[in-house]
Amino acid sequence: MAVVEGVAAPAPKVRLRPRGVSRREQWQRRLPLLPALIYIIVVTQIPFVVTLWYSFQNYFFDIPGGAHFTGLSNYTTVFTNAAFRASLVRSVVMTASSVIVAMILGMAFALLLDRKFLGRGVVRTLIITPFLVMPAAAALVWAGPMLDPNFGLLNYLLTPFGVHHVAWLSTHALGSVIVVMIWQWTPFMTLIVLAGLQGQPADTLEAAKVDGAGALATFRELTLPHLRPYIELGILLGSIYLVNAFDAVRLMTNGGPGTATTNLPFYLYQQVNYAFDVGGAAAAGVVTVILTIIVATFALRMFARVFQFDEAAG
Amino acid sequence: MTSMSARAAPGRTRAARAARRAKTTRRAMLNAAGLVVALLALFPIFWMISTAFKPATEIYSLTPHPLPHHPTLGNFNQVINGQAAGMGLSFWTFARNSLFVTVSAVVLASALSLLAAVAVARFKFRLRTSFLIMLLIVQMIPANALVIPLFLDYRSLNLLDSLIGLIILYAGLALPISIWLLRNFVATVPRELEEAAALDGAGPVRIFWRILFPLVAPGLVAVSTFAFITAWNEFVFALTFLSTQSKYTLPIYVQYFFGRNGASWGPIMAASTLYTIPPVVFFLIVQRRMIGGLVAGSVKG
Repeated sequence: MAVVEGVAAPAPKVRLRPRGVSRREQWQRRLPLLPALIYIIVVTQIPFVVTLWYSFQNYFFDIPGGAHFTGLSNYTTVFTNAAFRASLVRSVVMTASSVIVAMILGMAFALLLDRKFLGRGVVRTLIITPFLVMPAAAALVWAGPMLDPNFGLLNYLLTPFGVHHVAWLSTHALGSVIVVMIWQWTPFMTLIVLAGLQGQPADTLEAAKVDGAGALATFRELTLPHLRPYIELGILLGSIYLVNAFDAVRLMTNGGPGTATTNLPFYLYQQVNYAFDVGGAAAAGVVTVILTIIVATFALRMFARVFQFDEAAG
Repeated sequence: MTSMSARAAPGRTRAARAARRAKTTRRAMLNAAGLVVALLALFPIFWMISTAFKPATEIYSLTPHPLPHHPTLGNFNQVINGQAAGMGLSFWTFARNSLFVTVSAVVLASALSLLAAVAVARFKFRLRTSFLIMLLIVQMIPANALVIPLFLDYRSLNLLDSLIGLIILYAGLALPISIWLLRNFVATVPRELEEAAALDGAGPVRIFWRILFPLVAPGLVAVSTFAFITAWNEFVFALTFLSTQSKYTLPIYVQYFFGRNGASWGPIMAASTLYTIPPVVFFLIVQRRMIGGLVAGSVKG
């Protein structure tokens, strides 16, 4: 079980200079933080404020005259827009299903790999490679040589089962995109869980064995609780990235057929690049961010439990 | 355990042998399962590389073969001399752009996050926790929500069609997680080491370079791998911001010639193979420290 830092390492409470840290000294302490802080604010916070501003403006790239204030009308459009809601749902489905399946597979693989066998080092190195393939390239490998209706490998392999020339990207678009995400993220989950398995104290497992606990019971009672923080870390990092998945959608299906694979990132992209609707896209972006923060807050609660927030330490 | 009990009870050797045999069989089955899993996971990559070496007739054959019958470098040639995209620029232009952007972003992000991590882990000040929470929230903002305002900002700053603009951005995107991960590394360096050095008369700069830096180096490796992969793969911003072809990064190059002649899978797979090499090499160099770093930096078990 993860321990909050303050508990894990009872930080020596005795400070070197307990009283009266001077103002000057305080600023010296903050100084190293400033470059990164300013940087983050400039790159990510200011753009967000700008988005906020544009979300109240009526502004189209292709219409001359610039922006003018329209109040909440962009937001009304977003909330009454079925396309936005549908892409939101699709984003949730894509992210949740790929993260969960990748984690389950990753755990299975990690359990398989967490033993001594010939060439273990090589296999562990090799198994991460899908994660290292550029997502754009991964999407294309699947879109073409793997899933093409005519010369694709999958159809060929399925021919004996009576499958002929299935255009996977048209008939099972969402599933195909999810498969690619799972393929890319399973190795990542495997590595995280594997790291957890290796951190498991051997003597506890040994003791369980001596006590006659079966493999399944040992796994459920000992291994799983131990792995919990690792699983949560994997799910959190995976979700942060897959919620933003764009490359696979853009390159494999271009959001289609129709809107079958249009997730939020792709919807936002379309609003700007095809509809030139800066105001509408900004409002959709703001709503997305707010929804993300709501979800993130739940995740953060989990985070605070698992990871170390320093309030405990002082 | 089995061998020990066998030795302890010599009368039951046959049973022990049978048990051992059952264990060996189980092991072999698990190994086989592991092998199948590894092969399945790696197969698309194998297929990508194999397709890259196949002439067009074999790629579009209705009975695909695992290995090319007449392996050819033609696809790679087309990618490298730029014929595949038909824009008169060689692959190296884009590789250089990508490497320049990626390496600069990695260096910038590592330097800034190290400074910030030291500050967050070592010093107490007001709003420290708020800063940490802000980092996580920033990390969760979808990139596509930032595209529009950044596009407009960059346009007014003349950074839109520029690699410098991308460097600034990619370093910024990698910063939050980098600081978060590094801060845990700094926190694990015993304070006593620094205090002892300070008593011996070492100044803060010296303490930083001689004591803190070597101990935090594995964390920096994890952070830089992460920043490397983020920047190397980044697609959305590069696609939206870059308009001059000679400034394209690799992902944009591949999507460009995919869009142009969608069916030329040979060159596309050759390009994909080439793009995969740098992250794999980078990962191979740093792998031990990377995974240990990622996990040690975030989970205390």
